[in-house]
Amino acid sequence: MSPSENPSKQLYLLTPTIPSGSSTTANSILRLTTSLVVTAFVFCAFIAPQVLAETGPQSNSQASSNIDPDAMKALNKMGAYLRTLKAFQVDSEVTNDDVLDDGQIITDTKTNTLLAVSPNFLRAELKSDDRDVFLFYDGKSFTVYGKVENYYATVPAPATTAQLVDKVNDDYGIEIPLVDLFKWGTDNSTISKITSAFDVGPSTVQGITCEHYAFRQEGIDWQIWIQLGDYPLPRKFVIRTLTDDARPQHTSNLVWNLAPSYNEAAFAFDPPAGALRITLKGINGNGTKSNQ
Amino acid sequence: MKRSILFITLFVVATLVFNTDLSAQRRGGGGGGNRNVRSSANSSVNRNNNQNANVNRNVNQNANVNRNVNVNQNVNVNRNVNVNVDNNYHGGGYYGGGCCYHPVATAAAVTATAVVTAAVVGSIVDRPPAGCVTQVINGLAYQQCGNTWYQPQMSGTATTYVVVNAPR
Repeated sequence: MSPSENPSKQLYLLTPTIPSGSSTTANSILRLTTSLVVTAFVFCAFIAPQVLAETGPQSNSQASSNIDPDAMKALNKMGAYLRTLKAFQVDSEVTNDDVLDDGQIITDTKTNTLLAVSPNFLRAELKSDDRDVFLFYDGKSFTVYGKVENYYATVPAPATTAQLVDKVNDDYGIEIPLVDLFKWGTDNSTISKITSAFDVGPSTVQGITCEHYAFRQEGIDWQIWIQLGDYPLPRKFVIRTLTDDARPQHTSNLVWNLAPSYNEAAFAFDPPAGALRITLKGINGNGTKSNQ
Repeated sequence: MKRSILFITLFVVATLVFNTDLSAQRRGGGGGGNRNVRSSANSSVNRNNNQNANVNRNVNQNANVNRNVNVNQNVNVNRNVNVNVDNNYHGGGYYGGGCCYHPVATAAAVTATAVVTAAVVGSIVDRPPAGCVTQVINGLAYQQCGNTWYQPQMSGTATTYVVVNAPR
């Protein structure tokens, strides 16, 4: 166990549990407040050992021995290759775990379609059991369209997809599906934070021969299946979140099309008949004034 | 003979409709009551890393560590209250916004029980009560329910409704 796992585990153990069936407003507020206090306390208690562990010579040598350079090389090669792609479409089958208050896991299934043209066109459809949401980005504005309600919200957007994926996450809490595809092979990639990496071996994903790698970094364990040969594409991801004791998991299976047919008009949102405009809620609670 | 065929047809159609209704209700979990989601799996590795990068950087400056870490926590708490992230599974089944993002803010619980009579401005619900009328004012949609106005908003990729003062 890495030293960094301690705070989260302790946090959960110290957080008072709410009796099932009584998740009232008062309890929620109490719980939020208590969590804050407990969090502050726990971090006070655990930061010091963490500093020692990170600066100690022992942990350094241990970290380097846990990293297989070939696994890191494969990750970098994939990233570099992704950056050469001018246009791609990825269809992904996604399962994502939610953890209920009592620790029970509920798995949600989604189908996401992502069409990206470098450097500033993006279109995505996020389809789950009772939702069908489209995202549009044409280098000028960003639109979220909810097909079920027939509502849409449009905001001005930065000039590139790389900037967009960060902005919509930071400002509106919207995670572009498979956002890692826009990170690997760039300066924004954070693979330097990996603390453990190894090559699990060859593995077949949907009939395609891949190499299977496993990584660890603070808060998550993750695995990736990278296609062997001239097209080192990620074919599957599994991400295990360690910051909750229930350890929820995310899985994406990716189907690639490197020669998608598209029309530039497909990236600009044209409201369907009857669609009504609404605001896009800012993550800090300020409903952004949609630019009109 | 013809009449019996008609009855059978009606029965089959009714059964189909009924079944569809049942399956639509099942989504979101049965059993009644709310089930609150306390966390969800990370769906990206680079995003998570960015957050960690902040924490790591803070570790070197002891005086700032606690304060900075608290800030991160605050952001999460705000998200819960404002409902961008918190998910609820409702016993009732299908809600317009989708199964998994049923952001009911703390104030919203009050609204839900008080219903139309006196909804608190600023409270947020998954969907407005039945019988509201859609109004478009200055290009933006509202739901007018008697004297109460709900403004739909995109919270992340889910639609929620915030009670606002009459926009005109």
